[in-house]
Amino acid sequence: MENGAGAGAAAPAEAAAAWNFEPNVTLLGLTALSVRGVLGRVMAGMVVEDCGAGGRPAVPMGHGDPSAFPCFRTAEEAVDAVAAALRSGKHNSYAPCVGLKPTRRSIARYLSRDLPYELSADDVYLTSGCSQAIEIICSVLARPGANILCPRPCYLFHEARARFNGMEVKYFDLLPERGWEADLDEVQAIADKNTVAMLIINPGNPCGNVYTYEHLAKVAETAKKLGIFLIADEVYAHLTFGQNKFVPMGVFGSVAPVLTLGSISKRWVVPGWRLGWIVTSDPNGVFQRTKVVESIKCYLDISCDPVTFIQGAIPQLIENTKEEFFENTVDVLRQTADICWEKLKGISCITCPSKPEGSMFVMVKLDLSCLQGIKDDMDFCCKLANEELVVILPGCAVGYKNWLRITFALEPSSLEDGLDRLKSFCLRHSKPKVGAA
Amino acid sequence: MELDCEGDEASAWRFGAASPVLTAARSQSIRAMVYRVYDCLDRGDARPVAPLGHGDPAAFACFRTAPPATDAVAAAASSGVLNSYAPAAGLAEACSAVAALLSRELPYEVSPRDVVLTAGCNHAVEIMMTVLAAPGANVLLPRPGYPLYASRAALSGLEFRHFDLLPDKEWEVDLAGVAALADDNTVAMVIVSPNNPCGCVYSRHHLAQIAQTARKLGIMVISDEVYDHFAFGSKPFVPMGVFGEIAPVVTLGGISKRWMVPGWRLGWIAATDPNGILRKKKVMDSIIDYRGISVDPVTFVQGALPHIIANTDEAFFANAMDVMREAAEICHEKLQEIECITCPHKPDGSMFVMAKLDLSRLDGIEDDVDFCSKLAKEESVVMCPGSGLGMKNWLRITFAVDPQLLEDGLERTKRFCLRHAWQSQGDELMNTSAS
Repeated sequence: MENGAGAGAAAPAEAAAAWNFEPNVTLLGLTALSVRGVLGRVMAGMVVEDCGAGGRPAVPMGHGDPSAFPCFRTAEEAVDAVAAALRSGKHNSYAPCVGLKPTRRSIARYLSRDLPYELSADDVYLTSGCSQAIEIICSVLARPGANILCPRPCYLFHEARARFNGMEVKYFDLLPERGWEADLDEVQAIADKNTVAMLIINPGNPCGNVYTYEHLAKVAETAKKLGIFLIADEVYAHLTFGQNKFVPMGVFGSVAPVLTLGSISKRWVVPGWRLGWIVTSDPNGVFQRTKVVESIKCYLDISCDPVTFIQGAIPQLIENTKEEFFENTVDVLRQTADICWEKLKGISCITCPSKPEGSMFVMVKLDLSCLQGIKDDMDFCCKLANEELVVILPGCAVGYKNWLRITFALEPSSLEDGLDRLKSFCLRHSKPKVGAA
Repeated sequence: MELDCEGDEASAWRFGAASPVLTAARSQSIRAMVYRVYDCLDRGDARPVAPLGHGDPAAFACFRTAPPATDAVAAAASSGVLNSYAPAAGLAEACSAVAALLSRELPYEVSPRDVVLTAGCNHAVEIMMTVLAAPGANVLLPRPGYPLYASRAALSGLEFRHFDLLPDKEWEVDLAGVAALADDNTVAMVIVSPNNPCGCVYSRHHLAQIAQTARKLGIMVISDEVYDHFAFGSKPFVPMGVFGEIAPVVTLGGISKRWMVPGWRLGWIAATDPNGILRKKKVMDSIIDYRGISVDPVTFVQGALPHIIANTDEAFFANAMDVMREAAEICHEKLQEIECITCPHKPDGSMFVMAKLDLSRLDGIEDDVDFCSKLAKEESVVMCPGSGLGMKNWLRITFAVDPQLLEDGLERTKRFCLRHAWQSQGDELMNTSAS
């Protein structure tokens, strides 16, 4: 009788080919569209140095996560709210699939502050971070032949999930010479009868731009004309430090219905807490009539939920976090955006078309003709990580080959250090000047 | 297509009915089914609701989680160093802790590389049903079973076929049935032990037979062990991974049940596969790739995991199992007092028991869904209709409830059954009030 402790009557290690299973191959390519995946490749050759022994620290300028830096540390009130919710013992159970009611009510009120109408708790669906919000939208929209319109450059996680669900993605350009505004003529040209929605990311990732009220109004009109709705990825909401203030797309919800995506990840600097939302900013109730709401609930029913005690903490977290905390974060971002803008001016192979006004990033163009031995943006970033322990995201990860997305959301001194090392790297790899001086 | 009546120049909105795939997937949702029963409750009834429909005892004082677990999570949340994104497979120290935990009960070491953290065991189910969805593939699922497998398989276009669990054989897997269902496109079979919804624990011998069957068919075994160690009868818990040498086993688990914290959303997928077949066939790579574009468990809960495991002493688990055993006894005894309900197997594991409804003994009750709806309305007792799990006219009853409330709930159920009993001529049943 088999007891399973060792080899039985059959040969113990069958050749792998004898086993019937294979993985779903569509998945194997999609990691290339995730920032995490691309940075993994960039850092593959990087050898971490022992800082205790006088080695240099790595400088992370590739991802949107400054939570490790003391100057960006989240508000004490937020941590207290989470600890209190956890210790209450009242939030260890499963939550309803749409999320706890008090949490949804509190987010509705929070977002309504910036809208010309009141959101209700029922307009709010809690998600495990903005990433899951994207997942849900793509699952809900997916049907054979459907396509969505995305900006180029873009946070490609949107494409990853769209493609995973069998949807086509069509790209419209953001115009660097116009502060990365959307080319709305192109949007109208590429939309067809299978287009269901258009994505707008504001404040912009990867471009660091903040759209004006006027531009957003035009975006809404375009959507209305095309009969499509808007997906507004506002995960960087309120993180603006330049001329343009943040205007939520939902302001135009009566022109074209908007699905607003957001989270606490960036404004509270807690991406590891995984708490976000989808909000129907739709005073005309179009989403209800067209069954989008029903689809969202269908999907939520069979999906994982955000952690219950974090949901439970949200009302206190929103109410108790002081304005000073938000002002401080924005001040640091303003300061670091300035440092970045100034230092980049001194690097000749890098051009910055527009100064960042929001989010945590800036898109810069790489002039490969000034460099030798560097093939492309991925090669640049891999070598940079290897030689200088500075991590930057290659533009191919956002659909803009031979550009770079640079994160400036760091402790100012770390950022300066990183940019200095970047400059050294560029000088070291510069093509020698032709002819005598 | 819907026309927007508000604006005169608006075109018809280019989106319409809910995706049929999504509707089909959701129709299997157990959450939706149980919520529909909750909707039948009479809100004016002053009696406490007896929630015997789903497995979540976290609300009850007798099932409160271990204080060291709460302390560990609170400390991690306050540390300030666990607010970042985590790697796709999970924080290294958490993966190591799970690998060590699983290895304790296996004849080989599980490597941390073979562990992927998930946002609860439900998430692990979603990942497996997604990763295996190669074109034309099919998986074998138990009936009665946990409906999320079918929902997520439907959503990813993975065909699923049901094999039976045999009520007359302590809900063991019908292995002949499994062999008959499998074909060249079958990739995996799912087993759940300790079992939801049946409340049984599979013997070592039976698990070995399952492994042999899988090996003959060339398929992997997905062993859902979210109720690991929930064995309080004569059969001890045996992890399926013990037979990982015979057929590759993917073990799904989590802290939700053992620590009574389903709201913390932390689980895992572990390749308990000493021959490394899953790795060779790139299944592990796929799992990590998909996890990379899927939900992440909260970073500080991951960070707390090694301490949750290390600091919770055996006494906590032993005590929880004592209460669970007591509740299972109460459940079994009370059910025996109810004529129209039969329990083929006394529950000795998980949090549930499957019980058969004898509709011929009831008057004016159409089926199991009707039974549960009326029971909720008239007695404020919620049970899960078996048709949601593939067994029409059966009931899934949770006993992981405060023992007093459980007893009260089952007493009310008995009264309900007496009140609705079918009276034949001369039958004095209704007049012999047993309460």
